Amino acid sequence: MSLTSETQADDLRTAPAAHSVNLRKTYGTGQAAVQALADISVTFQRGQFTAVMGPSGSGKSTLMHCMAGLDRPTSGQTFVGGQDIGHLDDKGLTQLRRDRIGFVFQSFNLVPTLTAEENITLPADLAGKKVDQEWLKYLVAQLGIADRLTHRPNAMSGGQQQRVACARALINKPALIFADEPTGNLDSNASAEMLSFLRRSVQELGQSVVMVTHDPRGAAYADRVVFLADGALAGELLKPTQDSVLERMRTMGA
Amino acid sequence: MWKVTIKGLLARKLRLALTAIAIVLGVTFISGTLILTDTLHSTFNTLFSSAYAKIDFQVRANAQFSTSGISAIRNPLDESLLTTVEHVPGVEAADGQVGGYAQYVAPDGKAITTGGASTLGLNFDPNPEISQLRIISGSPPASADDVVMDAGTATKYHFAVGQQVRILFAGPPRTFTITGIAQFGSVSNLAGTTLAAFTLPTAQQVLDEPGQFDDINIVTAPGADKTAVQKAIAQVLPPGVQVVTGQTVISEDTTSVDQALSFFNTALLIFAFIALFVGGFTILNTFSIIVGQRTKELALLRIVGASRRQVFRAMLGEAAIVGFVSSLIGIGLGALTALGIEALLRGFGISLPSGSLVFGARTVVVGLAVGVGVTVISSISPARRAVRVPPIAAITDRPLDSARSSRRRFTGGGILALVGVIALAIGLAAPAIILVGVGAVCIFVAVAILAAGIARPLSSVIGRPLARGIPGRLGRENSMRNPRRTAQTASALMVGLALVSAVSVFGASLSKSATNSVDSAISANLLITSSNGAAQVSDTVPALVAAVPGVTAVATAYRGQFEFRGTEETLTSVPPQNLAATVILHLTAGSLGALGNGELFIDTTTANADHLSVGSTVPVQFARTGSGTARIGGIFQANALIGSYLAGNDYLLSHFLRPNPAAVLVATNGSGTVGNAVTNALAAYPNVQVQTRAQFEQAQAAAVNQLLGLIYALLALAVIIALIGVVNTLMLSVFERTREIGLLRAVGMKRGQVRAMIRSESVILSIFGAIIGIVIGTGLGIAMVQALKPGISVTVVPVAELVIFLVLAGLLGLLAATWPARRAARLDVLAAIAAD
Repeated sequence: MSLTSETQADDLRTAPAAHSVNLRKTYGTGQAAVQALADISVTFQRGQFTAVMGPSGSGKSTLMHCMAGLDRPTSGQTFVGGQDIGHLDDKGLTQLRRDRIGFVFQSFNLVPTLTAEENITLPADLAGKKVDQEWLKYLVAQLGIADRLTHRPNAMSGGQQQRVACARALINKPALIFADEPTGNLDSNASAEMLSFLRRSVQELGQSVVMVTHDPRGAAYADRVVFLADGALAGELLKPTQDSVLERMRTMGA
Repeated sequence: MWKVTIKGLLARKLRLALTAIAIVLGVTFISGTLILTDTLHSTFNTLFSSAYAKIDFQVRANAQFSTSGISAIRNPLDESLLTTVEHVPGVEAADGQVGGYAQYVAPDGKAITTGGASTLGLNFDPNPEISQLRIISGSPPASADDVVMDAGTATKYHFAVGQQVRILFAGPPRTFTITGIAQFGSVSNLAGTTLAAFTLPTAQQVLDEPGQFDDINIVTAPGADKTAVQKAIAQVLPPGVQVVTGQTVISEDTTSVDQALSFFNTALLIFAFIALFVGGFTILNTFSIIVGQRTKELALLRIVGASRRQVFRAMLGEAAIVGFVSSLIGIGLGALTALGIEALLRGFGISLPSGSLVFGARTVVVGLAVGVGVTVISSISPARRAVRVPPIAAITDRPLDSARSSRRRFTGGGILALVGVIALAIGLAAPAIILVGVGAVCIFVAVAILAAGIARPLSSVIGRPLARGIPGRLGRENSMRNPRRTAQTASALMVGLALVSAVSVFGASLSKSATNSVDSAISANLLITSSNGAAQVSDTVPALVAAVPGVTAVATAYRGQFEFRGTEETLTSVPPQNLAATVILHLTAGSLGALGNGELFIDTTTANADHLSVGSTVPVQFARTGSGTARIGGIFQANALIGSYLAGNDYLLSHFLRPNPAAVLVATNGSGTVGNAVTNALAAYPNVQVQTRAQFEQAQAAAVNQLLGLIYALLALAVIIALIGVVNTLMLSVFERTREIGLLRAVGMKRGQVRAMIRSESVILSIFGAIIGIVIGTGLGIAMVQALKPGISVTVVPVAELVIFLVLAGLLGLLAATWPARRAARLDVLAAIAAD
């Protein structure tokens, strides 16, 4: 309780991009219960590129879903920009996702019937906001998709689709971007481009990014790597390189 | 979000086109009916307006009371009143009119029939100021043997000026010479009515109105003060006679046509709404499946920030657009349908005044409102399901938990079923047709909800005979896989078949009762009735029949409308002296002798309902003679042919002016040749038919069957819409199972086997719907028959017919599967497996 009141008193502008306190998530009940997250307290700093790593089933995705308000934790608290999202109703969560969080998924998840541009501006359209044309122009130029804007997703390569998804995540200038295996379906060139872009958005635009990945090369683009195993934190690494990440994974005995 | 809606619609054109057909058909039906009604209304209004265009006033007797649907009953005027009216200052011209039954006989000896329109005889009015007839060839009638014929009849039967023609009247038939051919206003006939115009004295004689007029038409002098003239006329009129403006007559005539049309209008609209109701199920089902298939997309929209309300609105928006576009198409097709019906009428020789279709604002508003309304309402439940899709569904494959909501649905369905049964019971007992409708709708919706509960076991049983081969087994599995979808798809068919079965039970019972009732109602060996709706039995017929050797008794029955204790009823009369020989009447109180004393007999149902007994005095009113009282002289057991009120002929004849015999009942000595002798004796009367009791029964049953045929034809539309629903569901599940079908093909399933699989699923679906529908329909039919007892005396469940419906449903299911099965079989194996 004391933690809650302290956090609420925090100046929201100086609060971390997102953090969790004693987060637990259990699927099922009784004998069949599976503990996906076991008492995780983690903080994702503002203006930082954080990678979350861990073997399959370590709870990476569940952690992200809970922290983004897509899934309800069994107990514990999750905060986005200092705001406790556990108390938000569906409407509040929807607004949170729309205005303050950007998502990039492994399987792109574009609306197949909309063009690239319409997909990008979708969150702004949903909010009923006027699209910032300068910002849109800047994003598509940075991502190199200016000439694909009138295409439908099925007429684009995987890399292009993922860059559209990336632009969509950034269009509302969210406080935080959650990327779930964003390079999982991409070849190595496209992966490198995507990761560089995320890197630059942190460096040049001051964006906060949390990326779930199991690729050490990808993790090397991050400022910090958080390791998960069996639903619990298993250490972290600052200024990681591909080698140091690999090394750490080996010692974790995965 | 609007963009998502529009783009989503465009991407699913085929699926939605199939949905739209249901709405298009329903709205076509509605708008066609409205356009036709409006057109007929405007046609007749124009017609009457032109007919009375020059007439300022009409003098006529006050109406005693108006009978429903047709013009008010009025007494005739004495012809001396014409002179009185003519002398009123300001009156330029006045002419007396008589009109009545006059039916032409075609050169082949048959009466010329009109398919329901009047066969009208009238006096030819020489004054062109007043006359509605325009002679187009020949000349007006001059002598007692002259007639002017309408151009429509002359053209159709090739009559020419100078020819002879026989005409049937309420009295004896006569032969006339055609002196002229005339048009009614600008058209060759008045919507199918045949016209025979005579000189005034001839008309008064043959129409049995000697020295009398029905009414007097008046034209005022130019510049006369019309209000003053009307007042002046009113002052010279005897009591019980009124003067009204030509405009009043026009609006009264138009209103009476509208009333006659309204029954037809209502009947068509009921079928249109049935079609739309069935369409609603189809839409509900299609949208549900589409929501299921779009789960990922909907969840994605929720992730990137669409609120529940936005998703809900988008779903309803889609429905509204589909409804709007379909309704527009339906309204357009409705106009074409109305054109078609108009052409059909013209083909039957019913010529309407030239005038384009009346496309009223009401047609567009009602068509759009109903089309959009049905679509949107049907999509509410799928939209609510769409709203419940959690955002996380976009990225995980966790199935949605719906156990709790389905339990709630079943409870809701049970309550709705109860409400429906209660509403139906009250509605049938009252009787209140609206409540019956509401009850039926509730029951159908409830059954559609509850059917999901038995879809799995029932599909399994139905599919058992099909499950010998692998394709059949897979088809059966598919129909059991999603019981809710199976139930929803089958529901549309269920409603269609329930209505067909209910009509079938009702019709079989009615038909059986009609034939049963003749033998228990009359003992006469022969019945003489008019051969056609517009025809009459001439009053010379009974005497001719009585003279035939072998005829032992002749009873002329009359029928007329009167007010019994303030409500309009039908009174039947027979001659008391011949009643025993011709009618089977079981008296429970009173004696037959009372009938001869001018007392009234009523049936037991009326006696019980009104708490009347022999000796009670009741208020009655007749159009001609006004109010009075009658003494109840006897109470009889229900007799299907007599009705509820019986009097002696003397009593009825004293209250009606020139009533027409409803039927002539003939008792014979039993010799088989008497029937032919009677027919020969009436050779000059092609407007009557002589039937034995058995023939009369057959004719009654044939009339019921004809009506049933018409109802089946109209219900067929609902069944077609239901089948479109089956096609739609199958198409959607083929889309949905692209990968699965590809897999089956990859592991060696032949194209033919894929087709067989889809067909089995379709047949199971159809038979499932048909079984539930037939069970419910049979129940509804029995309830309806039960409610109409003792009017319908027996309940018949036509088992053979119901089995045929079931088999037909299965065959139609096979037919519905044709396209989806072909599509599934044509899937490219590789593409199907690769498809996401």
